[in-house]
Amino acid sequence: MNLTERLDGGRLTLAIEGRLDTTTAPQLEEALKRPRNGVTRLTLDFAGVTYVSSAGLRVILLAQKQMKNGGGMTVRNVNETVMDVFEVTGLAKILTFD
Amino acid sequence: MISVKHLSKAFGETTVLKDVNVEIKKGEVISIIGPSGTGKSTLLRCLNLLETPSGGEIVIDGINLLDKKSNVFKLRQKMGMVFQSFNLFSHLMVIENIMLGPVDLLRMGRREAFEAAMHLLAMVGLSEKAYAYPDELSGGQKQRVAIARTLAMRPEIVLFDEPTSALDPTMVSEVLAVVRKLAERGMTMMIVTHEMKFARDVSTRALFMDEGIIYEEGPPKQMFEKPKRDKTRAFIQKIKLFGFEIRSRNFDLYRLNAGIENFGHKQMLSPKQINHIQLVIEELVMNALLAKQGDVVAIAISVGYAEENGTIELALTYGGAPYDPVADDGGDDDLSGRIVRNLVKTRTCTFEAGKNHLRLTL
Repeated sequence: MNLTERLDGGRLTLAIEGRLDTTTAPQLEEALKRPRNGVTRLTLDFAGVTYVSSAGLRVILLAQKQMKNGGGMTVRNVNETVMDVFEVTGLAKILTFD
Repeated sequence: MISVKHLSKAFGETTVLKDVNVEIKKGEVISIIGPSGTGKSTLLRCLNLLETPSGGEIVIDGINLLDKKSNVFKLRQKMGMVFQSFNLFSHLMVIENIMLGPVDLLRMGRREAFEAAMHLLAMVGLSEKAYAYPDELSGGQKQRVAIARTLAMRPEIVLFDEPTSALDPTMVSEVLAVVRKLAERGMTMMIVTHEMKFARDVSTRALFMDEGIIYEEGPPKQMFEKPKRDKTRAFIQKIKLFGFEIRSRNFDLYRLNAGIENFGHKQMLSPKQINHIQLVIEELVMNALLAKQGDVVAIAISVGYAEENGTIELALTYGGAPYDPVADDGGDDDLSGRIVRNLVKTRTCTFEAGKNHLRLTL
């Protein structure tokens, strides 16, 4: 999995590329926990995500919780297969999509 | 059309082909399957005299190719060969690669060769790449050009030596679609392939090679569903199933997923189906079964595909106390369980001789 960060004012965009599974989810979690000053909004760009398992979903939920007090979190460019996983787990109703 | 009798080939001390006998009739599409190193490619290379056979006969339209008096050049022209590794001239444009043989060897006029080449490029779906160089093409496109180049020599039979083995899985289908089109047009072909579903769908006859001979042959339906001999049965069983054993909590998930992907491509499953298999296995193993294993981790996984009804079958065997992870509803927070239960269509879980046997269909 590859992560690309872009910070634009208070908005952090994390572009994820590859598989978000048991082996790679800790890498995303670590990136999200890294202290950054002034970040109020988070966008997870899923354009390059081909696979998500529950290990990845847990990290996404954690990120959303973390951003709740700020400007929130949005997820964008989710492909159909990954969206199916969001839907069956109920995350589709909880997350905000761009 | 071609009759192969008692063909043998040895490389030094090693005998690769012992005694191969086969008749190839016009319009047949013959797939050659079998384990690695059993002489499948050597047979094709011998037919085309890229390797000199050690003994036997190759009779084409009544003339023995191995007879010193035969016009080998003329007989070889009847056969085209498509290799694993495209073998295009990188300094020539696509159109030049295709025209080269007809102009230089068949003495065709450039105009005629150009028109024929453009016609073939249209057939393989690459008209717009006529003036590109091979380096500007993807692997799948290169192989389609290689097929067009072979056809430009107007062969009566085309020999394909693992035409998709060097390709990225995403490019396999575009090449197979072209081969399929040729089969529909009645081209006589022999194809060494590991794409079993393709072999089954497209060929009119399948040859299973082992021990340097054609160990068993028959219509693809019979060969893939009811092979008669033990080794064929074992081989077919092996390619129809993917097996993986987990012996440690730190097992290699990458290798497991790569194995599933490879199996899925061979069975021509869609990316979504492959994704679902990986998802169910990852969720069950990582979030349920490993936690229930004691000091000794022993989980065996097998994945199969039942072509007749398009069902994916998973079988997981594991030790520990009787436990059905799919029935285990962990409530609202059980993301993993929800994923599995949504994808699983049927399940049975039994406990015998100290082992759980979980069978699922997706």
